[in-house]
Amino acid sequence: MSEPKNSLKKPVSAKKVILRVLLYFVVLDVCVITLYPYFVMFCTALKSRAEIFSMNGTVLPITAVWSNFIDIWKRAPMAKYLLNSVLIAGGSTLIAMICGIPAAYALARMKFKGQTAFLGFIIVSQMFAPVVLLIGIYKVMMSLHMTNSIIGLIFINAAFNQAFTVWLLRGTFLGISPEMEQAAKIDGCNKMQAMFRVLLPVAAPGIVTTLIFIFINAWNEYTVALTLISADTLKPLTVGINIFNGYNMIEWQYLFAASLFAVIPVVILFMCIEKNLVSGLASGGVKG
Amino acid sequence: MKKKWRTAEPYLWILPSVILMAIFIIVPIFYVFKMAVSDVSKTGKIRGFAGFENFSSVLSDASFGMVMKNTLIWTVAVVGLSTILGFMLALILNNKFRGRKIARAIVVFPWATTLVIQASVWNFIINTDYGTLNTLLLRLGIIHQAINWTPTPAAYFAWEIACGIFVTIPFVTFTVLSGLQSIDNSFYEAATVDGANYWQKLFKITIPLVRPSLTVSTVLNIIYVFNSFPIIWTMTKGDPANHTDTLVTYLYKLAFYNGRQGEAAAVSVIGFLFLLICASAYMISTLKKEGK
Repeated sequence: MSEPKNSLKKPVSAKKVILRVLLYFVVLDVCVITLYPYFVMFCTALKSRAEIFSMNGTVLPITAVWSNFIDIWKRAPMAKYLLNSVLIAGGSTLIAMICGIPAAYALARMKFKGQTAFLGFIIVSQMFAPVVLLIGIYKVMMSLHMTNSIIGLIFINAAFNQAFTVWLLRGTFLGISPEMEQAAKIDGCNKMQAMFRVLLPVAAPGIVTTLIFIFINAWNEYTVALTLISADTLKPLTVGINIFNGYNMIEWQYLFAASLFAVIPVVILFMCIEKNLVSGLASGGVKG
Repeated sequence: MKKKWRTAEPYLWILPSVILMAIFIIVPIFYVFKMAVSDVSKTGKIRGFAGFENFSSVLSDASFGMVMKNTLIWTVAVVGLSTILGFMLALILNNKFRGRKIARAIVVFPWATTLVIQASVWNFIINTDYGTLNTLLLRLGIIHQAINWTPTPAAYFAWEIACGIFVTIPFVTFTVLSGLQSIDNSFYEAATVDGANYWQKLFKITIPLVRPSLTVSTVLNIIYVFNSFPIIWTMTKGDPANHTDTLVTYLYKLAFYNGRQGEAAAVSVIGFLFLLICASAYMISTLKKEGK
């Protein structure tokens, strides 16, 4: 794993060739295993009900039933689910950023009493997953009259993503020299202007990474939505698709066709930020 | 006046963040602790102080021991195995080879997928009657008869652990990769000059230098896996009879299925105590690193 550069200079030994072949073999296996569930999802989404339950099944669909992808829109309020997911993920991202950017800015650029305590709380707060606090969250939402509300879900998602947001943005801001902002201030900008006009544009890559990551987290959230939302028209995709997952029979073809709508957008988004996320994690990382 | 503003200003900047977390994280924590020591009605009304009654009734529940054992197995197995496998995968992906970018993009897939869907697919794959694992093995001629992959609750639990490992590996891999990329190549060059072999380099250079990344991923994974709900909920709901329950699915059922919210709160508190130890260890080590 160490010095691939040198391998070009020396004559290629048999051992090196074997290692190379082995490397490709392992990488290929890993990729195939990783993709297998997605492959199954796609193939099953294209099968007819009869074919899925047939005793003499095949992995690939014998006849592709593309109409499954149309039927799900008639069988379930898919458009509503999709819209709710977009609203929840988008709203959570917005609130998390509005609250997180100033906090990260203060932590990176100012000195104040309680700074370490605040930072400590940010780190420890990750220990409290929503699922363990659900009873408490439920009580809070009752008193705010926000059970069964998308707004309520947005705030909860934003709150539980604060740790990640503040931590990653603080790291990004710390990595940018404050000189330019100071120069802007000499030119007559106040702190707010210096932040918006100078710091945020420079920090854009880090901000976009954070933004996308929160969006994905909120889009994928399941437990809180499952507990708080009972009205079918307010459910996000992760909860809504279970309409095909009845107690007596599961309509796998529809479940997976609908699942693909929940999976594909975020997988693509995630691939876009994968590189930046790695450097973000290097700074001591917080898992969303 | 100006000085006062200067001391107050940072607090205004962090205020929105503090309010958001106060309402939706700190107040719920407060409620959970309060309910844990209260007599709570089925509808969630607090009727009075109950001392440690909820705790003793949870601890005396016959299934609680099994739930704790499951939680421990679940957390240790998923975190341990995904750390080992994720670390090995990071070593592999850190090599330069054709298609590395594609391979890295593919490896990230399970991390980006919502757990409830990943678990549904696994449930489908391992189904005895029509699952694709049997179909695949039958078609390849490896087996000649459909195998029941989930004959016992323990077997089902093992599959849940496998699914947990599958979705946790990418996080470990990418955290370790970020650590590997920051290692200066000159260390390896010097070691090569000194005649060190691959294993010596691995144990003397690579592992010590990626230890901080491994610590980060391990601690965060302990917290995350311990709290993980969707996989088990989707695959078995903790059934049959609590055999595949972990702490979080158990408390979910207590609170929202059985109306025993006081006891559910007590289970939450027990979970906190465990995680608090992990999180404070993590916080101290992170802040120490910051201080350097």
